[in-house]
Amino acid sequence: MAVSTNFSEENKQMIIMIEDRFDFSLHQQFRDSYSQCVDKNLNYILDLSRTKYMDSSALGMILLLKDFAEMNASKLVIRKPNETVNKILEIAQFHRLMTIEH
Amino acid sequence: MDAFKNKKLALVVDDSMTQCLLLSVLLKEEGYQVEVANDGAKGVEKYIEHQPDLVLMDINMPIMNGYEAARRIKKLSGDNLAPLIFITSMDTDQSFIESVDAGGDGILVRPFSPQVFKAKIKSIQRISDLYQQVKNLQQEQHKDAELAEKMMSEVIESRNFALDKIGIIKQAATMFSGDIQLTSLCPNGDIHILLGDFTGHGLRASIGAIPVSETFRAMTKKGFALIDIIAQVNRQLNDLLPNDLFFAACFACISSHQKSAYIFNAGLPDGYIFDENSAIKQQFPSVHPPLGILPKLLADSPLVVVSIEDNDHLVLISDGIIEARNEQGQEFGVSQFEQAAKVGMITHNITAHVLKELQNFCQNMPQEDDISLIDAPCSGWQKTLTPNQIIIPDSYSFEDNLYADTPSWSWHLHLTDKLLATVNPIPLVMNQINDIEGAGEHWQSLYTVLTELFLNALDHGVLGLSSALKDSPEGFSQYFNERSKRLDHLEQGFVHLELNYFPFAYGGKMVINVKDSGEGFDVLKVLKNNRGAQHESMRLSGRGIELINQLCDTLDYQENGTFVMASYVWHNDKASNFHY
Repeated sequence: MAVSTNFSEENKQMIIMIEDRFDFSLHQQFRDSYSQCVDKNLNYILDLSRTKYMDSSALGMILLLKDFAEMNASKLVIRKPNETVNKILEIAQFHRLMTIEH
Repeated sequence: MDAFKNKKLALVVDDSMTQCLLLSVLLKEEGYQVEVANDGAKGVEKYIEHQPDLVLMDINMPIMNGYEAARRIKKLSGDNLAPLIFITSMDTDQSFIESVDAGGDGILVRPFSPQVFKAKIKSIQRISDLYQQVKNLQQEQHKDAELAEKMMSEVIESRNFALDKIGIIKQAATMFSGDIQLTSLCPNGDIHILLGDFTGHGLRASIGAIPVSETFRAMTKKGFALIDIIAQVNRQLNDLLPNDLFFAACFACISSHQKSAYIFNAGLPDGYIFDENSAIKQQFPSVHPPLGILPKLLADSPLVVVSIEDNDHLVLISDGIIEARNEQGQEFGVSQFEQAAKVGMITHNITAHVLKELQNFCQNMPQEDDISLIDAPCSGWQKTLTPNQIIIPDSYSFEDNLYADTPSWSWHLHLTDKLLATVNPIPLVMNQINDIEGAGEHWQSLYTVLTELFLNALDHGVLGLSSALKDSPEGFSQYFNERSKRLDHLEQGFVHLELNYFPFAYGGKMVINVKDSGEGFDVLKVLKNNRGAQHESMRLSGRGIELINQLCDTLDYQENGTFVMASYVWHNDKASNFHY
């Protein structure tokens, strides 16, 4: 599965991991991965450590996840983007919209 | 349409009359009309003649067998799915494989019951209906896309300014592009440029293109500053676009008479200024998230200001160029682009050279994303513009004095304190003038005069900035940083702007008074310095006053430089027919 989810720290964190390419083809899968998890107090982590490539529609999907997290009074953290992916996040200045951990 | 025409038509191809009869009866029970052929060749002929909705095909027949006939029919049917079912008593793997290879959509092995036959027909018809639906949808989509493309290219981009001077590359990945390139002329002769990239490509990506271009053009034409236009475009797209769609864009303003360019990059790859030696003079990385995401622009994202020379070129690109791939999956990348652009600077054709290098690199790989580039020279606009054409200002004629007694109307605005930082009065004034006196070419110079007078009053008067700061290119950006800092902290001060209009028989006179709360300056010294520096064309500062002086009939500084009275006189064409 290109999109996988698991919970950690006694279910306080939901970690979404994207393998390989993060692009429009994952749209539905990505949305399904979090849309049922409406638990308050849950922090959303998007783990990009295994993402090799990302396009601009992936940026759009990240924005939707951020909206979702904020709707549930939570926040979104992006974790460990590789150099290529980080360049794309940087051009889009996403660090000014959310936390990016390297 | 009558019921007869609505009936589906089936073609039965079989050399056995009994089989034909049997199948015909079953098909008629299912509501089909039936045509019959007794060998493959006849079958193909009848297919051409009747264009049936369904074909039933025997395999072993004289003259032309079923496989061959099926191949020909499938070739003839082209885009249309004419479902073709083989009917055979050969129950072997080989016959099954060959049937599919020949283009068969199904196979029925004898013996079968009437119920099984009818079920098969129904299922194949269902598939064919679905296929037809998809095809209709595709056609509709294609038509919509064509319309949108026509609108994009004819309505939006053909209205761009100075297309002969600005080089543009635009290659869409699908029928039309999610990238837009806009250029527009400001009333004072500055050029506004926009290169933008909506998320994705195709129709979905172009929803925002029309409102963006309307806003960009209308506000530029009315004289709004670049940052106001960007803020408005952002607001508009935030309201308009769904949350996962946004607009990465680079805005630029090239001001030939100020010798400066203003740039704002929100989410695009670096923009560039190349100098005449084709070296990179400055790069403009993205400083803001793409537009449409946030309801308001982030506060700490000022325009980048840079001083420019006549032979500099401003080059903006979208990510499609950088990310274009070759067969090995490698990207064209930043350094290859820069190299290509540098060579393009030398050969005076950036667009052609970048395109050539890009094609050499990608060869025949299909294009994944929209590709676009704008190459704008930093000078050469003046030839088409008013301010520098009118070197000698118009002045009174004897006849004018008969009219110029009392103003036909006057207008004033007293801006104070924090409003000075947020309100740009010039578009307001120009709107008033256009409303009362109608639009006209001659207002372009007036716009320049008003802008310069107001900015002088605000910058040097109220904010107390020294124009000497602008003497060096480094000081230039320092000046603008200092300016926005002081504006942010502005507690008190005022600028008073007053206009009095005197109509003539063929033209008119605008008398402009501007008073500010600053400490004033030594007018004579500034003017003298400027005159001395004219030939060296070195001084970046004080340009404003010299320009106003050129455009106006009279320019008079009083009250230690805190009050200025300028009169701008214009005559329309008819006046030149009068000789006294």
